[in-house]
Amino acid sequence: MAASDPTFQARLDGLVGAPVGGGGPSVGPDPVNQPMIRHWAAAFDDANPVYTDPSVATTSRFGAIVAPPLMLQTWTMPTPVLAGIAERGGSPVPAAEGLGPLAVLDEAGFTATLATGSEFEFLRYLRLGDEVSAETVIEAISEEKSTRMGTGHFVTWVTTYRDGTGQVVGRQRFRILKFRPAP
Amino acid sequence: MTAWDEVHVGDELPALSIDVTATVIVAGAIASRDFMPVHHDRDYANAQGAPDIFMNILSTTGHCSRFLTDWAGPEAMVTRLAIRLGVPTFPGTTLTITGRVVDMQRQGDEGLVDVELRAANDLGDHVTGTATLSLPT
Repeated sequence: MAASDPTFQARLDGLVGAPVGGGGPSVGPDPVNQPMIRHWAAAFDDANPVYTDPSVATTSRFGAIVAPPLMLQTWTMPTPVLAGIAERGGSPVPAAEGLGPLAVLDEAGFTATLATGSEFEFLRYLRLGDEVSAETVIEAISEEKSTRMGTGHFVTWVTTYRDGTGQVVGRQRFRILKFRPAP
Repeated sequence: MTAWDEVHVGDELPALSIDVTATVIVAGAIASRDFMPVHHDRDYANAQGAPDIFMNILSTTGHCSRFLTDWAGPEAMVTRLAIRLGVPTFPGTTLTITGRVVDMQRQGDEGLVDVELRAANDLGDHVTGTATLSLPT
């Protein structure tokens, strides 16, 4: 069993700090803009006026229209290529060359994925015109654990979001369980 | 709007109930730019073993953020939102978000309010989590 092998855990430990998803930061295809904010506010029936009403926003603590904080990840999502999206398992764009760092787990039989948690931290709200980029690295991989779903490893990655000047505006930690599916 | 002076540890936030339809799920997925077919294509979701399309995580956090600022008002800033994921949310259910103030502290001229929150549907807890809001003092 590769998974109980200490050299396997050492390989996993070696992945901490490895970038996830291509090399370098992913840059949002469009700067923070009012149409996408309005669409988002409508979808969540969110009437907070600082997102869409300049007369309220300019006299608020924010001083201008701001984007809903939870849109942070949305700004850097790639423009999808719809053709073939189902065949790619929902991946919005064809995968970059080579396999990501988690291929090590897939090859060892931990092929199933379950998202278990998400944590956002916001340093400042984004304003119209802000350019956003995101860089994701693996932060931690647990030892092998027995869970309700099966045996697997918890993987945490952290995405750092920056504005056009390179200032960090927020972070997101995302935790998944990579596990061996029941036969 | 909720003023810092009026908030107390133990306060319950007004519950938010969302009648979850396929439209609510699809609108949230596309507004958050998540085009995974499990969030808009029932045939695809069925082939993946799910009984229907289900809400994407960014939508869940989007609804939670609305729940927080519906209570705290436009002067509030969400500085943190951490959730643990539970059961999925399918069309035809009601998602009810509830929360309670669990801690408060002043930091300079802002006040930080920690909220424990829970979003539940007919299957159980969809998410549980904690959030921090900054309010002017």
